[in-house]
Amino acid sequence: MSERETSDAINSAAAAWVARLDTGADAAVRAELDAWLAADERRRGAYFRAQAAWTMLDRACVLRGSLDMQPAEDIETERPRFSRRTVMFGSGMIAASVAAAAVGIGQLRQSTERIETAVGEIRRVPLKDGSFAAVNTNTRLAVTLKRESREVQLDSGEAWFEVAKDADRPFVVAAGDVRVRAVGTAFAVRRTGDGADVQVTEGVVEVWSKSDPTNVRRLSAGTAAFASNTAGPSLPADTGPDLDRTLAWRNGQLMFDGETLEAAAAEFNRYNMIQVEIADPALAQEKMVGRFRTNEPDAFARAAATVLGASAREEGNKIVLTRD
Amino acid sequence: MEQEARQRIMAWVVSEVLPHEAQVRSWLRRMIAPDDIEEIIQEAYFRISCLADIAHIQNGRAYFFTTARMLVLERIRRSRIVRLDALTEIEASNIISSEPSPERSVAGRRELARVRRLIEALPERCRQIFELRKIEGLSQREVARRMEVPEHTVENDVARGLKLILHALAEGEQQAEEAFSNAREDERTRDLRRDQ
Repeated sequence: MSERETSDAINSAAAAWVARLDTGADAAVRAELDAWLAADERRRGAYFRAQAAWTMLDRACVLRGSLDMQPAEDIETERPRFSRRTVMFGSGMIAASVAAAAVGIGQLRQSTERIETAVGEIRRVPLKDGSFAAVNTNTRLAVTLKRESREVQLDSGEAWFEVAKDADRPFVVAAGDVRVRAVGTAFAVRRTGDGADVQVTEGVVEVWSKSDPTNVRRLSAGTAAFASNTAGPSLPADTGPDLDRTLAWRNGQLMFDGETLEAAAAEFNRYNMIQVEIADPALAQEKMVGRFRTNEPDAFARAAATVLGASAREEGNKIVLTRD
Repeated sequence: MEQEARQRIMAWVVSEVLPHEAQVRSWLRRMIAPDDIEEIIQEAYFRISCLADIAHIQNGRAYFFTTARMLVLERIRRSRIVRLDALTEIEASNIISSEPSPERSVAGRRELARVRRLIEALPERCRQIFELRKIEGLSQREVARRMEVPEHTVENDVARGLKLILHALAEGEQQAEEAFSNAREDERTRDLRRDQ
């Protein structure tokens, strides 16, 4: 068997062919080229690529006339809520639902904005005080801006806040009985059954529970703590590099680094109507590594199946992973 | 008609596929041995060259990534040696591929600047030839006459310059600079030798 032509040799030959054809080559040369191309798909790919690069260079001149500026994408401003840019995934089944209600009568200078996200929806919402909220899947919260304070009621789900500095108006998130207070900082609160997980990405926050206001803990950037409704915050722990990973949802991603398949699937199921189910208990305990989009449970299931030697099958609204 | 369709596809490849090649390669580098990357790229372009229509493709960059990913998967399946990290990396490419392509207005201006830079960075004689051929729009024969060199010299330099430009597209701009300055060095020493 003759030696296989190297990719580099093919690339050089392809460039030479483009140069040769550019001389205004005749039919004989074309036939020769066709014969060369016919021998190997890689040659056809390389030739196509070289042609594309050669064509691209025409734009050095063609582009000259067509460079009018187009208006930059509009910058977010304090405009009607419906024009806010939202980050939505899997748009088909998700209805945009920014329900903003001004609870106004008798409460001047105080408005409440309700924000709800559907399953799978992740929304980035600028708040009127200049703060910014990234609201995760299946979350309900209300933001009330008062003259002396800024209050967020987290009814369910998870949100990350980047708080605009305003020393006179503390920013307090209430999740059940748990309270998280910040002045100018960034942190995430995820409400759970019996309390809330708090992660701080910037600055310092104070965390306590309404049921025990004496137990206040200060969490600084790069730490996280769970606070229970009854007992208040536990000892904060360093999140280390995990923080970016656990907050990857803000960009519509989920990152796993050694979580069990079961935990990873549960995470996915927060974001999707299509639920990933693991039928085999041993399989459920396997570890996962990887990065996925929150709205692609099928990609996740496929990857898990391939990596862990399982199979994935769809059953209505479920994707079932089994090992057979 | 056929010709027109080919041109449309080529124009699409130029603006939607080619600019992302360096990124596709750096993604491939995480999973594939260097020797294999070139082949995957060639095969990917082959697949793309087989397209009869591009109307159904919304995002060229995503399409490029998906094509490369498919080829990698085929390769992994064939080799039967499965690297776990490679596979998760492949799945992770969903992220890369779903990103929206950059705004066009910016892309257009950047493209012009980039094309100009690519040409300017070529070794001296190559650069002159490319400018006459691509910016002034002369044919190779006219370029040869204008520069008073044999036509085959022009043809050779077109091939050589195109190779350098392909290299630049493959590596992204920074490394390409180095490759180009090496080539300029070579030309200088060669010219020097010739002069002696």
